[in-house]
Amino acid sequence: MSDTNTNTDTDTDTDTDGTEARTDGSGGPGIVAPDDETPSWRERKERTTGLSRLTYEYFERARREDQDLRTESDYVERDVLAFPTWPHETVRNLSIAAFFTGMIFFLSATMPPHIGSPANPSSTPAIILPDWYLYWSFGLLKLGPLNPELAILGGEKITADRTYGVLANVVVVGFVAIVPFLNKGSARRPVEQPFWSAVGVGGIVFAFTISLLAVKNLMPMDVDLLFDLTFLLPIVATTVTYAVLKTMREGYMYDLNRRYYRLRPPK
Amino acid sequence: MSLKEKDDMDHEGWMKRKDLTPVESTFLVALIWMDKRLRIVDYLELLENLYYKVNMQMPKSHTEQYDLDNKFWYWYPLYALGSFSTLAYIVAAVSGALLGFYYAPAQTGDPSTAYNSITFIMTDLQFGFMLRSIHRWSAQVMVAAVFLHMLRVYFTGAYKEPRELNWLLGIVLISLTMVFGYTGYLLPWDQLAFWAGQIGVEMSLSIPLAGEWVAQLLFGGFTLGPATLQRMYILHVFLLPFVVTSLIAIHIGIVWVQGIAEPH
Repeated sequence: MSDTNTNTDTDTDTDTDGTEARTDGSGGPGIVAPDDETPSWRERKERTTGLSRLTYEYFERARREDQDLRTESDYVERDVLAFPTWPHETVRNLSIAAFFTGMIFFLSATMPPHIGSPANPSSTPAIILPDWYLYWSFGLLKLGPLNPELAILGGEKITADRTYGVLANVVVVGFVAIVPFLNKGSARRPVEQPFWSAVGVGGIVFAFTISLLAVKNLMPMDVDLLFDLTFLLPIVATTVTYAVLKTMREGYMYDLNRRYYRLRPPK
Repeated sequence: MSLKEKDDMDHEGWMKRKDLTPVESTFLVALIWMDKRLRIVDYLELLENLYYKVNMQMPKSHTEQYDLDNKFWYWYPLYALGSFSTLAYIVAAVSGALLGFYYAPAQTGDPSTAYNSITFIMTDLQFGFMLRSIHRWSAQVMVAAVFLHMLRVYFTGAYKEPRELNWLLGIVLISLTMVFGYTGYLLPWDQLAFWAGQIGVEMSLSIPLAGEWVAQLLFGGFTLGPATLQRMYILHVFLLPFVVTSLIAIHIGIVWVQGIAEPH
């Protein structure tokens, strides 16, 4: 009720002033032009406290840092020096794109897919397989023999073999995901980081061997031997890669240092 | 109150004084027309700002600084794997949209409508066999390219600071790519699809704690049925395309902002 009263009052006031009643609610004071005492945006930001103050300070620092970096000599006005986007890069990209798309069409023209017999829940086929890129995941489901049996539980397993396999998937993907937080530093080439490259090669080999384990009923091979090889081959590959890269690194670092000092001779 | 236009900036008079070519005046008229309605000049400033940030203020890259162009271009094919997978994704999207005109995920009848529509596409439809072939092969090629792309990133250490978040995003993307492949694999509803679906249900059921919930959500039950096919279809043609396309856009956008991680 009181709201309605106030509105009526305002209307009456404007009427007595002789101006027209405004329906858009702009009866109050208009926008005041900034004078000398109006704080600038910078001053308003400087006056803030707490988190917004911190944000403001950080942005100011970052801007100053950028400015400093920009005045350093190894910053460059890109569009003058770099490889031109048009036509060089664009034409190259277009031709590569055309080639790749053509390759897909060629594959699909020469090797069309086939469709099997319709789904029949009452007859399980001898071979059940996902697409090839899921073989590794399918293989990880078959790690039952590695599921530890605890003596405390009287030889019983903590998790079912199936759950164990699903957890193995989570562990593998999780490990790949946290690699950037384990391997730090500026090394970029395999020779500069023998350990992590060896881990990578081991991982690739394991992806292949675990895929072979997934199709074990198609492999012309003793299943126990296949199971052992699945885990032995990646270890062998890791060790060999590590040894090779570690040896290569000596010569590589020599070469790199020579190049570096030729570019920037020691004073 | 007067409705007279107060035009301090007389754009038309300014344009007359400028003696413009037809192209220039058309451009300006369109620009002013749009700007009066959408305030695009504000955004033009943003774009201009962005342009200068991207093009003028990047540090000299490692290859430029040490004159290592020969090294970089030698490895270039491996650096194209990311765009190759994007390209395969586009081909798959186009051919998939065309296939979608003829595919129905229903399970009525024996063999099911889904299976019948695939047979129709492959035998009766003009160009249909090729279309399905293109869709399947572009999917295969995309998965392969994504795997190889990940290996390239791993072995050149391109995931290191400041690119850790993009690596995590890449893990999400490669997983979603495989989910894409898996849901598509189930759609023909042949024997392979059915039993691959069976494995999927069993896998989700054996997830600790959340297993039954996940099976219910993804497969529409603990056994395969019409609901399964329907959900796989919606995942494949509705949910995943939106999610994956936006994630790919973010992934590439981050690469654009951070620059290519060149080999040292």
